[in-house]
Amino acid sequence: MQPQVFTHARMSSDEVTAHLTDSGFDIGPPSTVRRTVLDTFDGRLAAAGMRLELREGDHWELVLTDDASLPAHLAVTDVPSSAASLPAGPIRARLGPVLGVRALLPFVSVTARRLVAVRRDGAGKIHVRVVVQDRLAIEGGGRASPAWGVEVDELEGYDKDARQARAVLASLGLKARPIGLLDLIADRAHVDLRGYDGSPSVALSREEPAGDGFRRVLVRLADTIDANWDGTVHALDPEFLHDLRVAVRRTRSVLAQAKGVVPSAERARFREEFGWLGSVTGPARDLDVYVTEWDGYVASLGPETAGQLEPVLAHIAGRRREEHAALAATLTSDRYRRVQAAWRAWLDPEGEEPGQQAPSAARPLGSVVALRVAAAQEQVVMRGRSIGPDSPATDLHELRKDAKKLRYLLECFGGVLAGAPRKAFVQQLKALQDNLGEHQDTEVHSDRLREISRELHREPGVTAETLLAMGRLTEHFEQRRQAARDEFAQRFAAYDTKRTRRNLDDLIGSATGR
Amino acid sequence: MKVLATYSIKGGVGKTTSAVNLAFEAARIGARVLVWDLDPQGAATYFFRIKPRVKGGTQRLVGGKGELATHVRATDVAGLQLVPADFSLRHLDLHLDGTKRPTERLASLLAAVGDRYDVAILDCPPSISLASESVFGASDDLLVPVIPTTLSSRTLDQLGRFLGDQPAPPGILPYFSMVDRRKRLHRDLVESLPRQFPDFLTSVIPNASAIERMGPERAPLATFAPATPAAHAFRDLWAEVSARIWT
Repeated sequence: MQPQVFTHARMSSDEVTAHLTDSGFDIGPPSTVRRTVLDTFDGRLAAAGMRLELREGDHWELVLTDDASLPAHLAVTDVPSSAASLPAGPIRARLGPVLGVRALLPFVSVTARRLVAVRRDGAGKIHVRVVVQDRLAIEGGGRASPAWGVEVDELEGYDKDARQARAVLASLGLKARPIGLLDLIADRAHVDLRGYDGSPSVALSREEPAGDGFRRVLVRLADTIDANWDGTVHALDPEFLHDLRVAVRRTRSVLAQAKGVVPSAERARFREEFGWLGSVTGPARDLDVYVTEWDGYVASLGPETAGQLEPVLAHIAGRRREEHAALAATLTSDRYRRVQAAWRAWLDPEGEEPGQQAPSAARPLGSVVALRVAAAQEQVVMRGRSIGPDSPATDLHELRKDAKKLRYLLECFGGVLAGAPRKAFVQQLKALQDNLGEHQDTEVHSDRLREISRELHREPGVTAETLLAMGRLTEHFEQRRQAARDEFAQRFAAYDTKRTRRNLDDLIGSATGR
Repeated sequence: MKVLATYSIKGGVGKTTSAVNLAFEAARIGARVLVWDLDPQGAATYFFRIKPRVKGGTQRLVGGKGELATHVRATDVAGLQLVPADFSLRHLDLHLDGTKRPTERLASLLAAVGDRYDVAILDCPPSISLASESVFGASDDLLVPVIPTTLSSRTLDQLGRFLGDQPAPPGILPYFSMVDRRKRLHRDLVESLPRQFPDFLTSVIPNASAIERMGPERAPLATFAPATPAAHAFRDLWAEVSARIWT
């Protein structure tokens, strides 16, 4: 829990300190502390009700707080870059499941002079701690307002003393703020401590012209691409590339659905450009998945085989670095800049020339979305029904693409679809997609492993044990692929039901206002 | 939450100094720690300068409507809280006996605060009684300080046999305490006993005047004598225990 903060618009912090001394508080020596809020780009700690703070003073420490328990403190010598960079222990155990592979990034920093005032009993036990922080300076030069703040650190079991301390501050005219000091500072620095919201959903109206609605969705996706660009170029964590890539694929998918809504020349041009962007981001992403999922892949093969596969992991990690370097070069290339500039220019409605509208751009967005959702679902059902036990794997891959198109439609145009049936429908679709994803991913992994095997054959020092272990891993992927293939018919049957159709009808009804 | 108990059938072996110093070390590495002082002498409570008082008495604490959370007190160590003891704990056996499932009672009281802490350390009085059984029922591991004497292996044997008869016994983690390297017997037993009990932790807590100073200082050792061998020994001991919890 963040300590309560008190401020005063006119009084100085020295006056408060003097008054605390008069009220029986012992004031400790002043120190200068830099406080930085750390979180992932998408604010996973904030979403989990946690706050991680780095305090840099005479010594460095991490302070992890949440809404339900006491703060945890850990001395550190470096700024942690991720959960994995922390020593094994309780803080890593708590942060690991929340952060996943995401990097810890500084959100806001403030430097302050810190004075700790305590009130003790006859045995010397501290009953209440009041922390005066003044000379506040926000990192980046922002002016701190308020210029100082007083935090009352409530100690469990000593509520009466905390109440008395608050009364002392109130008697001086200090006002309790509803949020903590760091939240106030973040507010002044225009930093949203909730992190970046990567959801494609935007506010839409089913009556608005389809052209406007599609454009707003595409602007949102362009913002997500831009927001994740820096983290992808610098390979801060694998989720930046993942989120950028998903936004690219969604953009391409929305453009594919924009026939008659977006002028055909622009539609064709940008579909091609985003197709290019999708293809150049693929190799690095595949290798990211390989490395981050590696422990799970080899876990069932036992520690001996896992050990024999270490050179393979090292080889993949090396390839991954190469692919990320190539991707960074692409994302900082002239072609990328030209595409982005042209795309932004087209997205800007001010720049649109009169008479350039596509034939369906003025139609109500809701009815256009309803038609597209119905058509995408029809495509999924028709293809799914045509797949039998002897159908080639490519049919399942095509079905996976169809399902993705439908899913992207539901996510990007959620603003005109009723929440409850959309959630129910997405759940059913997701179960099918999980099966199709497992089938394709394991096949891609097998193929990649065979390719790596050929590469490693040419490298000196790779043992026969390693090559045999690769064979076992390929076999493991093959077993998983076959299991997914065997399960497909059942999964599709569970999807292709009256319930799904009912949910779809409800969805379409919500888009058209029926 | 991992529940540990500093436990020994014998008294004066260093249970409380271990509980206090290990709790300090746990908090130092970022754990949220609760020390529950179950000893009516209240020495752990004393070391943290907290008033020895169980609000409403032990009967209310362990009774059907009792809640541990209302008894918790912050210590002056960040990340470390304590449930204090008082003399009413001398009747803990009696009050537990009055509850429905006495051997599960401490576990259920701890479970209610389990999401607030990473580690709970129970500082137990020396005995083997109903309260001890309830401690065994609540604990994942018993930290058993052993002074290297000829009777030590017999005491450990007794504890091992007793726990062997329990349905879900805690682990036993013995370690040497109050070791005087000037004594040949101590040196010999520190060498030989771990061969008999393979789970013996390797850190050895010395018999040191610095530990005795915890009385007048009323604080964990590392707060006033962090560079002493004894402080290092507790740090090493906690590192061993911690490695078993968080790999």
